Amino acid sequence: MDFDTNRTLIVAALARIPAGDKAALQTVYRLTSAKLFGVCLRILGEPSEAEDVLQEVYVTVWRKAADFDAGRASPLTWLIAIARNRAIDRLRASKQSRRMAPIEAADDLADSGTRADIAIENAQDYAKLHGCLDGLEGRESAALRGAFFDGNTYEELAIRMNVPLGTMKSWIRRAMIKLKGCLEQ
Amino acid sequence: MSDETAQLPEDDLLAAELALGVLAGAERAAAESRAAREPSFSAMVASWQERLAPWAAEISEVPVPPHIWERIAATLPAEKQNSGWWYSLAFWRGLSLATGALAAACIGALIYLGNAPPTLSPLTASIDGEGRRHFVATVDMTTHNVAVMPASYFPDATREPELWLIPADGKPHPLGMLRADRAVIIKMPADLAALTVGNAVLAVSLEPPGGSPTGQPTGPVIATGKLTSL
Repeated sequence: MDFDTNRTLIVAALARIPAGDKAALQTVYRLTSAKLFGVCLRILGEPSEAEDVLQEVYVTVWRKAADFDAGRASPLTWLIAIARNRAIDRLRASKQSRRMAPIEAADDLADSGTRADIAIENAQDYAKLHGCLDGLEGRESAALRGAFFDGNTYEELAIRMNVPLGTMKSWIRRAMIKLKGCLEQ
Repeated sequence: MSDETAQLPEDDLLAAELALGVLAGAERAAAESRAAREPSFSAMVASWQERLAPWAAEISEVPVPPHIWERIAATLPAEKQNSGWWYSLAFWRGLSLATGALAAACIGALIYLGNAPPTLSPLTASIDGEGRRHFVATVDMTTHNVAVMPASYFPDATREPELWLIPADGKPHPLGMLRADRAVIIKMPADLAALTVGNAVLAVSLEPPGGSPTGQPTGPVIATGKLTSL
């Protein structure tokens, strides 16, 4: 199924959920759960925890579907944000992130060739974001990567990259400013 | 903080930090509580989520063990009536955003993937004119309700849009007035509903406020759409 068809089916199913339609939630689940499970598993590392969080994610979707506005957000963005948020909540409730190996900025360069799964996402949006991330300094994109994919906090990123907390905050903030400027071009 | 950092307001940076997920403890709780209370801040967070989400394309899909859906389904409350989507603004907003065949696929999906199919298949029409989709209509053949949602219709300064059913004999029957700003639902008399078979068309004309005084279109017909069964 291509991106647009998928998106249309997800939007239509989300719209039926506020009326109490379980089959609509199941449709959303069928179309998106493998992706969201991947997101939860990437952040949490443990399959059993990722399963618990995935369950919370779809219960949240069930309760909050009326808040989704197809005119403002892509359905997958909305769902991924819920999944990341729930997974990060779970991480924060434990002592620290599971992924705490030291990050070398150079590692990121090897990583940037990761093949994207574009069956469900918009390939153009991905290409644009990727281009903008490539424009960041290595240490900035490495820090953003640790935050996005490993769910690290400022403190954890400072430890992993062996810099003071204040330095990490300014790296991330500067990177986000550059990213926004680049994406808006 | 460097000069570069001064280019974005503090709120936007906080929204970025919340969306990225780098906050913890009281800072994270405070930012989440602002997002729940302040629509403008919540919109900034949503914009950052939109910017970052495409990155998730690098995360592979992982098959979910089959019992997880059963666990989710078990936590849901007992089923409500499934007629609510008809009145859901979100549904119509989604439908009017979809285009062409996708709009039909959208309704098709509702029926195919839905709980119980309606007794009779609904009809749908894209009411187009001069290359624009003015309205999208769906006729529920069980209740004879016609739901009409504005798509890219722009209000006329002095006249109002009126909906007509034009059956195979070509004679227009007035159905009711439409709105530029929201969906309307019109109950169709049973004798008119019987005329929707065959090559029936829905048409929109521009009429004086309150509708055509003659019972026939007096203003220009700006858009038409063939009723198609799904």
